[in-house]
Amino acid sequence: MRGFKVVEARDANHAVALLAELAPSVKVLAGGTDLLVDFKHAPHAPEVVLDITRAEDLKGVSMTDAGLRIGALATHTDIMRSPLVRESLPALVDAAHTIGAVQTRNLGTLGGNLVTCVPSMDSGPTLVALEARVTVAGPGGRRELPLTEFFVGPRKTVLKPDELLVDIIIPKKNVGKPTDFLKFGLRKGQALALVNVASSLWVDPKKTFVEPRIALGAVAPTVIRAPEAEAYLEGKKITPEAMSEAGRIAAGEARPISDFRASAQYRRDLIAVLTRRTLENACARVQDVRPGGSK
Amino acid sequence: MTEVKMKLNGETRSASVPPETTLLKMLRESFNLTGAKLGCDVGDCGACTVLVDGMSVNACLMLANQVDGREVLTIEGLATVEYLHPVQEAFETFASLQCGFCGPGVIMSAKALLDENPDPTIPEIRDALSGNLCRCTGYTKMIEAIQDAARILRAKEHA
Amino acid sequence: MNDKLRVTEKELTQEALRDPTEALRVPVVTPPVPYPIETLVPEVRQQTPAVGQRATRPDGRLHGLGQTRYIDDLTFPGMLHAKIKRAGIASALIKRIDTSEAEAMPGVMAVLTGREIPVNSFGPSLQDQPVLCDERVFHAGDGVAAVAAVTEQIALEALEKIKVEYEPLPAVLDPLEAMKDDAPKVHPPASNIYSHKIIKKGDLEKGFAESDHIFEARFSTQMVEHVPLEPHASIGMWDSNGRLTVYSSLGRITLGRTDIARTLRLPINRVHVVATIVGGNFGGKNEITQEPVVALLAKKTGRPVKAVYSRGEEFTSSTTRHPIIMDYKTGVSRDGRILARQVKLYLDGGAYCSWSETTLGKACILSPGPYNIENVEAEAFVIYTNKTVTGAMRGFGAPQVCFAYESHMDDIAKALGIDPLEIRLRNAFSEGSISPTGQVLHSVVVRESLERAAERYGWQESQS
Repeated sequence: MRGFKVVEARDANHAVALLAELAPSVKVLAGGTDLLVDFKHAPHAPEVVLDITRAEDLKGVSMTDAGLRIGALATHTDIMRSPLVRESLPALVDAAHTIGAVQTRNLGTLGGNLVTCVPSMDSGPTLVALEARVTVAGPGGRRELPLTEFFVGPRKTVLKPDELLVDIIIPKKNVGKPTDFLKFGLRKGQALALVNVASSLWVDPKKTFVEPRIALGAVAPTVIRAPEAEAYLEGKKITPEAMSEAGRIAAGEARPISDFRASAQYRRDLIAVLTRRTLENACARVQDVRPGGSK
Repeated sequence: MTEVKMKLNGETRSASVPPETTLLKMLRESFNLTGAKLGCDVGDCGACTVLVDGMSVNACLMLANQVDGREVLTIEGLATVEYLHPVQEAFETFASLQCGFCGPGVIMSAKALLDENPDPTIPEIRDALSGNLCRCTGYTKMIEAIQDAARILRAKEHA
Repeated sequence: MNDKLRVTEKELTQEALRDPTEALRVPVVTPPVPYPIETLVPEVRQQTPAVGQRATRPDGRLHGLGQTRYIDDLTFPGMLHAKIKRAGIASALIKRIDTSEAEAMPGVMAVLTGREIPVNSFGPSLQDQPVLCDERVFHAGDGVAAVAAVTEQIALEALEKIKVEYEPLPAVLDPLEAMKDDAPKVHPPASNIYSHKIIKKGDLEKGFAESDHIFEARFSTQMVEHVPLEPHASIGMWDSNGRLTVYSSLGRITLGRTDIARTLRLPINRVHVVATIVGGNFGGKNEITQEPVVALLAKKTGRPVKAVYSRGEEFTSSTTRHPIIMDYKTGVSRDGRILARQVKLYLDGGAYCSWSETTLGKACILSPGPYNIENVEAEAFVIYTNKTVTGAMRGFGAPQVCFAYESHMDDIAKALGIDPLEIRLRNAFSEGSISPTGQVLHSVVVRESLERAAERYGWQESQS
């Protein structure tokens, strides 16, 4: 690696203050599983690396008034081990489990995965299906926005060079919402997703879909929702046909590309199947979880 | 230069390295602990696996500075003067390694697994080894050895 | 267990990076290891009870302790690190190489170009591969210059400072295209077809004429890299008497020694090759790669020089498995007996020969498959293309043709409505069968192993 300086941040506010001072020739080091790989191959090294790995207030998973708060620095392993997550949103555990391998999950962070913002990110779809919001801190203070607005394009987010992702919040109304995540890669371990899909839904006593949310990954410049498929399902009776049809509609809403991993048509076929399966699995989870919060 | 002070294989040790030095480079060059290998340098192959505070990590994806004040265990710290670690012993008995280059990483991953889960199933072992590539063995004998080591460790626990 | 791991805590003084004493100090915990080397030498022609027994390896203990020293684990006082600049262009003439800026960099101790290599060609059969390209680039992974510096990072940065001026030439990347007369020549004026083999048995035309059905199919396989976990690595150093010692992750030591001596124009007894434990070979470390480069850089600087391939270089600049385009034409009787088979193999040889001739031979000999066929013609070509070198890899061409003839066999069985196992049993070699090359075969257990495999798998049940 080319030479650079390292500055350590004590906590989130310190990190923001340092960013304001050092931007734009600074890169933030969280898990390092993407950043250090980039450095090793980049033609230029950054002047300064801001090491935030010791900022304790950016870590942890907790329940707040707003909902389930996951610190940006929580590693994928932290999420998999959190009793809070395991109980209320097991789909997040499944999603974290599909990322890299044990070693990279021990290092890599949820925030880092979102900030790197590759279209095939495995933590995106579940959070989008749960309508997660993110907190961004900058020189002007903190602001909150929906995760879907945080993503801009491949490897591009709304973060300015002097801003920091602080945490991810799953709104209280969706904590405990039956959710499922499925990923299709060419191998089980350490593979990028060809397609990944997450669906969340409530079921009312008449056995109809309430607030179905479908998120698709690796099939558009960023993780996207499938609003037409969601609208189709809303209020519909839960039947295999309805779920298959939603899969078909979702496949039409994506904009997959053809590359050396798979053709666009293959990806569309995968969306249809994975969407149906995530809906089925989420329905199967209805009995498992107690609706929390407002529901 | 960055000063790094850590508990390395049970001893308090320190090194002074340029800030961009990776943990792997520091272990290999400053401490001559060459058990952790450089295989891919991007966190795919797992040949550089070491434990930091008991968690397995790719040493090529951490800056040396990040382990300051923490506990690092490498393959060299696993055996004592008298005893091999049960995983090492089982790997020898089962001839789980061929060229051996992936071995230190695999054994550290196995140790991390057994520390957390004393009775892992085969799928759990496979999952734990998914970050360690081996081109020689096909993993079968590694899995057998890890199951055997788990048995021995559990027996010791009860004794 | 954990308690035993804790050795008494000792507070030690600060140590600086690359302090010379660093290299001498033993690791933090070094278990004293008894190293039992008990070599069992089985008597000639005596059956050893190896099958079904668990064997341990003499090197197993040090492997498990992380104490096995591979090349990259060795350091020598004053050792430098070398890196090779890769061409990144498939075919070109080298107009000019300017190394002055790299040489002026602090920490850079020497720069080497192809023109400085005494005999700039090597290879296990044809010596058609330059150590570093001097006049012409043959594929994108070719080396064009090398740097020795005090750290690997400085060497890498120095490579960026080396300016190479190329005159691009048309490249040929497809073996079938490369066979055409008007195709650009990879090694002009030589033909792109650099080796050819033909095997004939019986009368092919007669066999096809007698056949009830004729099946034709084309199969192709892709390039495969060995991906040994240990990248290619070597260290070169000279002693005061002008003798060269090369530590290398090399599978064929004597062959490598001969090639190193040849490129350096040294008598072979001046070259000492130390091949330590290899971290994965699979055929990819059967020839030298950068050994002459480290030797010459060591000579220029008077210091030991180490070079290790990056994972990327493993893919672009080491050998790979031959992609083969395989045309099969098979005549069969109504009951599925093979009466005639014609095979044409086109091996993509990449930019240099390497072990292509061996691969060609083996692929050609094995291409008709383990079946009794009276009338056979197998013809194979290995063709230069401006791509990564293809060479030895597990099976030397056998896996590729196996994929083709067995896939072909399944197609035939399906078309004739015969059970895929049955069609193989009807044609398989048996004791005393004669191979297409005229070899009388003994200890043939194809049928027995097929039948036993089918039984264990539950083939009949799975078909019903």
